[in-house]
Amino acid sequence: MSELIPTCALGGTMPRTETFGALTLTEVADLALASLALRRNGVRPAPMGMALPDTGQWHAGEGIAAFWTGPDQWMVEGPGRAEEDFARLIKAEAPDASVTDQTDGWVVFDIASSAGGGRIVDLLAKLVNIDPRRLAAGTACRTGLEHMAVFVIRRADDRLTIMGMRSAAATIWHALAGAAARLEGSAT
Amino acid sequence: MLIPHPLLGPRDAQEFTYLGDAALLARPDGMAEGALGAFIDYVYLRDNPAGVHRELWFHEQGDRSWLVVTRNTVTHEIIDAQLARDVALARKGAVA
Repeated sequence: MSELIPTCALGGTMPRTETFGALTLTEVADLALASLALRRNGVRPAPMGMALPDTGQWHAGEGIAAFWTGPDQWMVEGPGRAEEDFARLIKAEAPDASVTDQTDGWVVFDIASSAGGGRIVDLLAKLVNIDPRRLAAGTACRTGLEHMAVFVIRRADDRLTIMGMRSAAATIWHALAGAAARLEGSAT
Repeated sequence: MLIPHPLLGPRDAQEFTYLGDAALLARPDGMAEGALGAFIDYVYLRDNPAGVHRELWFHEQGDRSWLVVTRNTVTHEIIDAQLARDVALARKGAVA
C-alpha cells in the first residue's frame, strides 16, 4: 500500500490554530470519540473507573472524559487516542452497552480565553440560542449553531469545546472565527 | 417560543420539529377486530381544536428525545411538556 498522508478536518497536515485577542481557536485532531448507549433497563457502566455524567453534564476521569448526549446516551472522549481503536476499548469496559466509534465523524474545536470566563460567556451569547449562564463549567449540550447541530462543552470556566459534523468543519470554523474576531475587534 | 424540556429546561422552539397530534402514540393493533376502521381513524382523522392540544415535538437539534407538549393553539401558551417515552410507557402499563 502506498504511503498515505493523514489530513486534519480543515485539510491541513497540522491542526489549525488562530488567536483573536484573548480568544484562541484550536482544531483538535487527536481526540478519540465513541458513543455509548444503554440497552433497555441497562445498568449504567463506569468505563475506566469513571462515573458517566448526569443529564446535561460533562465529566472527566483519568485519561478519559464523557458527556451526556441524550437519555441513557453518552459520548466518551479519549484525548490523544484518535489513532487507537478507542471504541473497542470502551466496549470492553461496557460490554452490555451499545458502543459505536465516532472519531472520524466529528470535528472538534477548542476555544481558550486568556481573559477569564466572561469572554467565553460573551462568545456563547453570539453563537448559540441558549442562556450562556446555564452553560457553566462542567456542562455540555447539543444545540444549533448557524443551522448546524453541534455539541457545546464548557470544560472549564475559560475553556469551551465546539464539536460538529466533520464535513462542515470549515463552515463551523468560519462561524467561530467570525464571532471571535468581531468580539475581539480584530478583522479576519 | 420556548419549550420547557423536562430534562434540559427552556429551549428555543427552533431546535424542535413538530410531528402532530399526540394521539399518534396510540397506534391500533393491526391484527385486532375492526382494525381497518381503527386505522382509518388513526391515519386520517384528527381533531383540530382551537385551544388546548397535546402534540408531539422532536428535539432534533438537542438531545433527540420526543416530547408530548400540551399547548394552547389560540394563545401559544405551553402548559406542559413530558418525555413521550414516559407517556407511552405509562399508557402501555395502564393498558396491560
